[in-house]
Amino acid sequence: MSFILEARDVSKVYQMGSTTVAALDHVSVTVNAGEFAAIQGTSGSGKSTLLNVLGGLDHPTAGEILFDSKPLAPLSKKAMARYRRNSVGMIFQGFNLIPTMSAEENVSLALAFAGVRGSQRRKRAQELLDRVGLADRLTHRPTELSGGEQQRVAIARALANRPRVLLADEPTGNLDSTRAHELLTLLRAMVATDALTIIMVTHDHELAQTFADRIILMKDGAVVKKDEG
Amino acid sequence: MSFLDILYLALRNLRQAKLRAVLTTMGVIVGVAVIVTMVSFGLGLQQNMLARFKALDLFNEMSVFGKSLSTLASGLDRGRQDADSGGDRRGPRLRPDKAPTRILDDAAIAEIAKIPGVAYVEPSIGFPVFVRANGHVQTQYVGGATVPNASSRFKDFVGGQMISSPDADEAVVNERFTREFGFARPEDAVGKTIEFLTPLDEQKGQARESKNEEVPSGFFGLPLDDQESAEAKAGNLAAHSFRIAGVLNTELKEGAGQGGMRGLFPGAGIYVPLKTARQWIIDHRGPMSQVALALARESGALSSSGLEGYDSAVVRVTNPVVLTEVRKRLTELGFGSFSIVDQLDQIRTVFLIIDSVLGLLGGISLLVASFGIANTMIMSILERTREIGIMKAIGAEDREIKLIFFVEAAVLGLTGGVIGTLFAWGIDGIANRAAYRFILKPQGASFIDFFSIPPYLWLGAILFALVVSIVAALYPATRAARIDPVKALRHD
Repeated sequence: MSFILEARDVSKVYQMGSTTVAALDHVSVTVNAGEFAAIQGTSGSGKSTLLNVLGGLDHPTAGEILFDSKPLAPLSKKAMARYRRNSVGMIFQGFNLIPTMSAEENVSLALAFAGVRGSQRRKRAQELLDRVGLADRLTHRPTELSGGEQQRVAIARALANRPRVLLADEPTGNLDSTRAHELLTLLRAMVATDALTIIMVTHDHELAQTFADRIILMKDGAVVKKDEG
Repeated sequence: MSFLDILYLALRNLRQAKLRAVLTTMGVIVGVAVIVTMVSFGLGLQQNMLARFKALDLFNEMSVFGKSLSTLASGLDRGRQDADSGGDRRGPRLRPDKAPTRILDDAAIAEIAKIPGVAYVEPSIGFPVFVRANGHVQTQYVGGATVPNASSRFKDFVGGQMISSPDADEAVVNERFTREFGFARPEDAVGKTIEFLTPLDEQKGQARESKNEEVPSGFFGLPLDDQESAEAKAGNLAAHSFRIAGVLNTELKEGAGQGGMRGLFPGAGIYVPLKTARQWIIDHRGPMSQVALALARESGALSSSGLEGYDSAVVRVTNPVVLTEVRKRLTELGFGSFSIVDQLDQIRTVFLIIDSVLGLLGGISLLVASFGIANTMIMSILERTREIGIMKAIGAEDREIKLIFFVEAAVLGLTGGVIGTLFAWGIDGIANRAAYRFILKPQGASFIDFFSIPPYLWLGAILFALVVSIVAALYPATRAARIDPVKALRHD
């Protein structure tokens, strides 16, 4: 069986003055296609670092990441940008929308980087926002949207270029529990309908257990328990 | 990402910090305006000066030099320039570019006249003489003139006209001559007689000598008997009389050439036909010249009855463009030449230095502006670190991030360049009108454009502003592209 994403013996070491801190310590994780996996751990457990490494935003100090059985390591900076653009999508706790752009513009930006032009870009952005239930919020700026709505814009943006994997870093961290449930229900539905693979980092065990197929528990930069679901 | 998208993002970013963008652009505007104003002033200065030269026929005339008598006498290929006193030329001492190897005689003049592009060629010849007219005696410088004459020197007559034929005992004088000889009005001199004075015995001996030994009868088509008859003898002096055919207007409109000099031709107060002038020089040789002639004949540089040629001639070309071509041909024929264009190169160099210094001053202000641009860009990066991180996270390439910043800087530079040029154009216009109104007009002078903004200046200035801006953005753009997205996303 092939995995869509795999971390093989990955370490990430930061140099902090004279001491070295290992954010990731020989971590090996595999994720199947069409799976909703949760990485759970307390803050400082290295779960966000693992997600950044999987998303191609950060490079491991040792070990390798394989996407679709192909290692990312030999890719050029340009190819890494392309990987982030087309193969994976990311959402964050703080939404990370560009505050001066409307919902539609935020989604369009991701399409623009992929080279989608004019009317096609507009159409696709509207489609995506419609899918996350924001068809009537196209021209709203992030500040004019609620937290839940902002995160949906972020999801629409992350999925703009049809990635196979969505990486979510504490997506519900800034939402109340009602909104959090709504959002994760949406993501869960996407896994079912679009064969999307989701890896979600969270510290909330209850949410992880409710929505994820499987929980990977991390502590101090290492995987302590893989709950094979 | 297409360039249009990048341009859109860049403009959007600039719009978000309007005041900062405007202030940064102001810096560029001032820099470009200073450069264009200063250099346009330098160029205008140069243009006005060259236009004056052109009006004086200095660009389409040159002097041609043949081997001088003193060179022939000493048997050298090259004469010492400072001792080259074969003729009694007056006016500026013009130096040929190359030592001539040929004698500039009538045959040579005819040959030069046939060179393509030559409008006319006229030997420069002249001598000083005591002149008596209207009861006054003064030394005057007499020049020889080809008759009929095609040059612009003999176009503007106050009264009378040009000498009627090459053999006529007629002269043309200038307006100043008439004043110096006490004529009430310049026109009064027309038809009057002037006399060139020589000592009686010298005149006799010289004339006889030249008649019997040197000059074949009818030499240069000048019947010597006629000359004899034209000479009225009085006391110990002999005199050769000429009728004043016309009076030239001395005053040049452009105000240059105090001595009535126009083009390269040495000015003279009196002009007589060329042949007459040449014969006069041959007949009234000074001792030095006689020795030189004898030596030249002895050494074989001249045949036993041969004579030296003209020292120089003025060659006018049909078009200044062919001047260099004609000069090359003249060198091939063995003549030296002089053209103001040689000096012009030096003048151009001086102006180039002036323009460079002026441009440099402007360049410094643009340099200051470039620091402003760099500063603005860096500020912008600090503000937009998170945004850059987001862009990278959703798949922006380093190259694209860099390009956004370059385009931002280019927009600032281009806008500043265009507005700066317009400013400079306005400043030039206002300064020019002010100068005319308060300086030129009170003096009765006509309007002069002090500034010159040729297309290469304003296009160059805009391009320069653009390049400077992009260079200023080099560091900020590279820094923006290098931002670590993980840190940037944590940043707030």
